Amino acid sequence: MQLSKITASCIMASALLQAENYVSVEYLQYDESDSRVSVKAPSISASYDIGTDYTIKADFVHDSVSGATPSYLPDSGSGASSRTNSGDYTHGKQEFDEKRNAYSLLLTTRFENRDELYTGVDYSRESDFDSKTLSLEYMHYTDASHNRSLSLGVAYSYNEILLYDYDTGSGATAKETSQSISVQAGVTQVLNAKSSVKIAGFMASDDGYLTNPHSLIVRDYQTDSRLVNEIRPDTRLGYGLDIKYITMLNDDISYQLGYRFYNDDWDISSHTINNDFYYKLNKKFTFGAGLRYYTQTQADFYNGSKDFFTNEVVASSDERLSDFDAFTYKLSVDFRQNDKISYNLGGQFYTQSTGLDATMLTTGIKYRY
Amino acid sequence: MIKLSLLLSVPLFFMGCSMIEAVKPWEKETLAIDIMQYEGLHPEVKKFEAHVYFSKEASRGGGGIAGGGCGCN
Repeated sequence: MQLSKITASCIMASALLQAENYVSVEYLQYDESDSRVSVKAPSISASYDIGTDYTIKADFVHDSVSGATPSYLPDSGSGASSRTNSGDYTHGKQEFDEKRNAYSLLLTTRFENRDELYTGVDYSRESDFDSKTLSLEYMHYTDASHNRSLSLGVAYSYNEILLYDYDTGSGATAKETSQSISVQAGVTQVLNAKSSVKIAGFMASDDGYLTNPHSLIVRDYQTDSRLVNEIRPDTRLGYGLDIKYITMLNDDISYQLGYRFYNDDWDISSHTINNDFYYKLNKKFTFGAGLRYYTQTQADFYNGSKDFFTNEVVASSDERLSDFDAFTYKLSVDFRQNDKISYNLGGQFYTQSTGLDATMLTTGIKYRY
Repeated sequence: MIKLSLLLSVPLFFMGCSMIEAVKPWEKETLAIDIMQYEGLHPEVKKFEAHVYFSKEASRGGGGIAGGGCGCN
């Protein structure tokens, strides 16, 4: 009797752990305050088990981005009509309209001891940016009960960037490239029947054209002022630590705490703390709430003033490289109509100390089969 | 700050080790439910969030390797 109970529990747990086939359609909307950037991103994902040893997952997302991004521009009120020394500059909005298609394919292979190998391919295309990524990750269980696993992954990205020559304003374009190698090693440990922890160290090395082609700076403001492209270093080495802890607080509420530390040789250092709660009201409704805090130091070649840069080799006024804090407030609700169909709706509010505020809305439907 | 993080991580690591219990496969029903997954209920939404943070902040990494690339600039 005891044996059959144990066997039944094993079958139930194993069925719950097994991935399920699904198709998911999501619509994602991102809007910044002050009519800056607006993103509409419909996406479709599908996951399919091929026997018990393989799972293939495919994703497609189409981003439509429009709006205006903050940058130094000629100040039309001062009479300036070009980027040369004919007037003053102001921190205004540079309008743009961009579309992006991104495709991802991920194959999971399970071996006899249930170790897993993940093989991923990602491709993303915009009018001025192409990115191709190949990734491999191996996950090894160190014990028969699968309470501890070690993982090691590596990814390689190759990017092509189309540049507009702001320095002369000639309208000429040129193609640059960059590449990136990322490595991550981690351990996942079951702590007890209701909680587990995941700890990973990661590093990323970039080289090539790492400058933001849309970000402009003012040089020699006091003498021979002109608006030119920013210049970033052509290498970047970053590393960090990511810790996630998840637990059931009671029968209905789960809580996930995450902490990430990041540091790189551009002098950027950051801390991220993420909290997510889920409350299962009943079999049909699940509510989510979360709070994320992020803080970073500025890059050593960043300055936001228009009268700072003269002949520095590397220089940027892109406020994403500045010193700032950010909070994200998250709410979501899931409605499971039956075993096969569920709907989700979520809203997030993101606010930076730079003055940037944004809302993120997500809604979707998932069909399991 | 790096030293502070390391100093904090050492006691947390040993505290964590002392909390570990041997859990049998048939005791993992709770760990397997949908609200106990690291990627949340909707991995697609997590990926969108990662894309936004990658676009608006200067840090990267830590979100996993396989299938984790947002392929964005």
